Amino acid sequence: MLTPPFILHRPRSVEEACSIAADLASAGRPFDWVAGGTDLLPNYKWHLNPKGDVISLAHVEGADALETNRVGCMARLHDVATSEVVHPLLAAAAAKVASSLIRRSATVGGNLCLDTRCFWYNQSEDWRRSIEWCHKADCGTGADCRVIPNQNTLCVATYQGDMAAAFMALDAEVELVGPEGERRMPLDEFFELDGMKKNVLMPGEFLLCVHLPDDASTRVGAYHKLRVRETWDFPEAGVAASWIPGDATSLRVASTGLESIPGMHTDVVEAHADWTETEGRKRFSKALQKAIKPVNNTALPPRYRRSMVSVLASRALRAITQED
Amino acid sequence: MSGGYRQQPGGAGGETRKDGKRVAGKLRFKPPGAGGSRPVSTPRDLDRIPESVGGNEPQPAGHHVHDRLRTGTIVGLPTALVDANAKVTGQAWYGDDVRLANEVIGRILRSPHHYARIRSIDTSAAEAMPGVVAIATGEDAPKTFGVLPVTKDEHAMAVEKVRHVGDLVACVAAVDEATAMEALGAIVVEYEELDPEFDPRKGLEDVDEPIHWRGKYHVGRTNVQKRVHQAFGDRSNIENAAASSRRAWRFEGVHHGFTEPHAVVAHWDANGRLQLYTPQQVPHYTHRALATVLDVPMHQINVIRTFVGGGFGGKSDPFPHEMCAAILARKCGRPVRITFDREEVYWINRGRHPSYIEVKLDADEDGRVAGLDVDALIDGGAFASFGHVTSYYNGVLATAPYELGSFHYTGARVWTNKPASGAMRGHGAVNTRCAVEVGLDDIAEQLAVDPIDLRLANLLPPHSRTISGFRITSNGMREALRRVREESGWDEKFRNMPLGKGIGIGCGFFISGSGLPIHWDPNRFPHATVHIQVDMDGGVTVHTGAADIGQGSTTAVAQVVSEVLALPLDMIHVRSHESDTSPVDLGSYSSRVTFMNCNAAIRAAMEIRESLLNAAWDMLGYHPSTLVMVDRRIVYKHDPSIGVSYLQALHKAQEDKGALIARGAYRSPPMGGVHKGAAAGLAPAYSFSAYVAEVDVDVETGLVKCTRVWAAHDCGKALNPLAVEGQIIGSCHMGLGQVLSERMVYGRTGHLQNANLLQYQIPSVHEMPHVTPIIVESSDPEGPFGAKEAGEGPLLPILPAVCNAVYDAVGVRPSSLPLTPDVVWTAIQKRMKSERVEDPLELKPPRLTHGPLQEKLAARGGEHQIRDRARQRTEDTSPYVNGVLFGFDPTRPIDEQLEGWAVIDDPDPESMAEMGYAGRAWLKQEQRHMEDGA
Repeated sequence: MLTPPFILHRPRSVEEACSIAADLASAGRPFDWVAGGTDLLPNYKWHLNPKGDVISLAHVEGADALETNRVGCMARLHDVATSEVVHPLLAAAAAKVASSLIRRSATVGGNLCLDTRCFWYNQSEDWRRSIEWCHKADCGTGADCRVIPNQNTLCVATYQGDMAAAFMALDAEVELVGPEGERRMPLDEFFELDGMKKNVLMPGEFLLCVHLPDDASTRVGAYHKLRVRETWDFPEAGVAASWIPGDATSLRVASTGLESIPGMHTDVVEAHADWTETEGRKRFSKALQKAIKPVNNTALPPRYRRSMVSVLASRALRAITQED
Repeated sequence: MSGGYRQQPGGAGGETRKDGKRVAGKLRFKPPGAGGSRPVSTPRDLDRIPESVGGNEPQPAGHHVHDRLRTGTIVGLPTALVDANAKVTGQAWYGDDVRLANEVIGRILRSPHHYARIRSIDTSAAEAMPGVVAIATGEDAPKTFGVLPVTKDEHAMAVEKVRHVGDLVACVAAVDEATAMEALGAIVVEYEELDPEFDPRKGLEDVDEPIHWRGKYHVGRTNVQKRVHQAFGDRSNIENAAASSRRAWRFEGVHHGFTEPHAVVAHWDANGRLQLYTPQQVPHYTHRALATVLDVPMHQINVIRTFVGGGFGGKSDPFPHEMCAAILARKCGRPVRITFDREEVYWINRGRHPSYIEVKLDADEDGRVAGLDVDALIDGGAFASFGHVTSYYNGVLATAPYELGSFHYTGARVWTNKPASGAMRGHGAVNTRCAVEVGLDDIAEQLAVDPIDLRLANLLPPHSRTISGFRITSNGMREALRRVREESGWDEKFRNMPLGKGIGIGCGFFISGSGLPIHWDPNRFPHATVHIQVDMDGGVTVHTGAADIGQGSTTAVAQVVSEVLALPLDMIHVRSHESDTSPVDLGSYSSRVTFMNCNAAIRAAMEIRESLLNAAWDMLGYHPSTLVMVDRRIVYKHDPSIGVSYLQALHKAQEDKGALIARGAYRSPPMGGVHKGAAAGLAPAYSFSAYVAEVDVDVETGLVKCTRVWAAHDCGKALNPLAVEGQIIGSCHMGLGQVLSERMVYGRTGHLQNANLLQYQIPSVHEMPHVTPIIVESSDPEGPFGAKEAGEGPLLPILPAVCNAVYDAVGVRPSSLPLTPDVVWTAIQKRMKSERVEDPLELKPPRLTHGPLQEKLAARGGEHQIRDRARQRTEDTSPYVNGVLFGFDPTRPIDEQLEGWAVIDDPDPESMAEMGYAGRAWLKQEQRHMEDGA
């Protein structure tokens, strides 16, 4: 299996990165950003939408910042997992990503911008040719979605990043930069419901860092991940929760590994002010389960994954309330 | 002895002439005792000499015919594998490490369709591409091959039809991989798609276009490749069953998951001989198949087995890509290298058959196993591979270790349009064993007895015969059960732990070497041959065809030679890579290597030993019967100060003939019955094992974590305890994969959805329990120093042990594997519904109050223990056949004693079809009978 050839650009600064991106765009050359490469390069090897140019963020100065309230896109997950300055919830979530080997390369930015996954899509070129391609990588054929046939408007590939749920539960904001300048938005607005578009990044734009609000450190959080093996596996379901102990309305709950984008469940929280009590917690968990509709494109069946949402949520809520 | 040792006798210092020149032939040798890693000869270690020959090594299982060959050198000593250094330093050369000058790269064009007729292949555009040096298609090699001579149904590349996605269509050799890939894209193939079949159950129905056609032996117009039936025993025993367990299982296909993908290098040398490098378990089959497909005599082919990065049965077929490389190399005149992607590894597959297995167990009021009925429908995929054998193994390997009142087995293997299933560690025995052992657990529950006591009261003794006529020799089953019960704390834990924590038992039984060499009559040619050559330097070169696939066969062969000749292991050099120099050998499958090759090696070493002892006799004047081999010395038994060094004796022995050459062979003794399929499952010895597994089940999510395993395996005699323990722990890992997470997922469209190591979920180190390996030594009378296999049998018990532990933990018995969390969760939900429980944490784990039978079984087990000990130590040599427990006289044929006791060769299709899917294969007639009727 050969990785298709590409030109690797290695800017040293944000400005240089943006100008390379602008140059490539004006030359009509499609490109990808790469951080740790643990997601992009395997996909390239499988010929999943490879591009002729790749811009590496590895050498961009300051991109690997790792501070209490600011985490750079190039911060390695291993460093996050073992850091004493970041929020314990982030460290816990990072420690659950893939394997120790991968965490050494993988980054926060890469995890947040992780390509969505689907067992009709994450396959070799020969394999996908034999199913006559799919909507996400249709190779110009206009192929149908293989998960839900007869719909080729939306890609339902599953977002299986772990970090997003943890960051969302801590009310994080992301800072994006591009040729048009920079902008900031809450992380839950960063994702866009489509397995192909995935997020709001515009051409030439990339995620530079994640900001946490000042009160994030007062939050107590927990992340529960469902997977068959305790290493390597992407989340089949994941629920992160955090609150400022004593203030039930401060609860934030986010889920991942279940739909095309991670979910922020403000509605469910608002409807269940009594979540700190046993019965309230049960109702909350059931309501969360109802709010999520996974499809059949990962290792475990969707009905089961959905049922596990309430178990994971219930455990996460129990975990964060037990500490006070 | 001072002053060193000379090749020829003569005065001290007589090796130089007066003019200072050396006298011809008077070479100086290093002092006696030199050679090997230790400078000085060490005295015999009596702790490793068996008691029967005057040593201190205890022999609870009795003495052994090889005891007198023991020198205390290395047998029984934990020994690092002799090829370990090469592997850990990266010097081992695996398939893809072979780099020949001027090589080109081969790639294979594979079918995008499940099932299609090839209308045309146009390679002209690809041929015209610069850098492409050769292209081949099915037309270049139309002859069929297959691992079994009776089912040759494979081609190097598809001829006429492609039979699964990934089936080989054409191949290209080019200057580099990128060019080869590009050329594949330029080959135009026109297909006519045919209706594919993925469900083995539908393979039993007549179709327009069966995947293969067997002519007059074809079963109707179905996709049934092989059907088997065997029935023995007395059915009246099950009429008044006190307990009965019937379960229909579904086992997903699993893959070996070896580290090294298939790779091959083919090169036609300057003399026009084919040199083929391949990581093969069975180089000899490849050798034969290459000769057939390439139309070249076998002596013009040299198969070179590279280091093998894991096999587990998945590298034991001759493979089409091996033919492709040879064909391409012949066409372009340059060495061709083909290395698979992981996906291609899954497409060639040969993993364990996806199976539908129904098992019915009946126990009578005495807690005896009155009936065992097995119906196994196995999904063979697109080719026969080892399937003919697998079809039998799924039943016949369940006929021990328990004494059965009756045994009915129906099996069928069907072709489907999926990658071919084949042999995998525990070949054919694993799935049925799981079903049988879980069934016994169920029976024990119904009878309110302890499942270990139930087993102990129903074991076949050593030196007995199974219901289907297998000859059991040594049998350490009872000892294995006793040890795991004790060490696991079974009696305190079983049915006594809180919800979510469970403990379970499972047993295993496996062949130690298939009794029948597939390609020849065992009476006309031995199973294994070993050559030994000892030249002047004293180093011992051993030639064997045993294929070391990481299991340590090279080390085992070196060890037994080292033991017999009392030489350090580093003086033994095993050469096993080339068919040019290796004697013909069947290779590494059916757990035969230790048993057969080591026996052959011992025989060859005995010949060398005799030459050395005779030479020492000449030199010392003591008869060989009074001489003993100690570390690099031969000494007088009653006064070790009288002796000669190994080199002295060797050179004396070489005086007239030069290097000592010896040869040893192994052939299995005649055995087995005469019924159809009687040879399947026959082995010169059988291994036994018993495991206890402890699990934690998350009752809310269904996640099962195996935390502890006590694994007792009877390997006869651990030649190398380190390797045996490694095999036990490795088997646990592999079996845990099948029981907890591994499966080949075929999706809605029939495609293999997880042909990669991320989604094919092999357990990681986190999932690995703490395994306590327990070695049981039953000293097999025919095994080398008493040894039997330890490579496959240890896999079997882990599956049922975990299943039974899950039941102990949460009271559910899912009957499909793997027990992924969703499967267990669904079973828990079902139990909650039936018991109207809202919260899974409120479920009650199963509990046991012993019934009246318990005491009776314990007493019977106790009696049998005394019986077995006497038989094991051959203090009692009376015959014993399956059926004695049911009141038969073992000295008279059973069918004379009871009318109902029968060997049924002529099945009744209607009643078989009631049992399960495989039985329905018998409702159809073979073409030849259909023509008769027409």
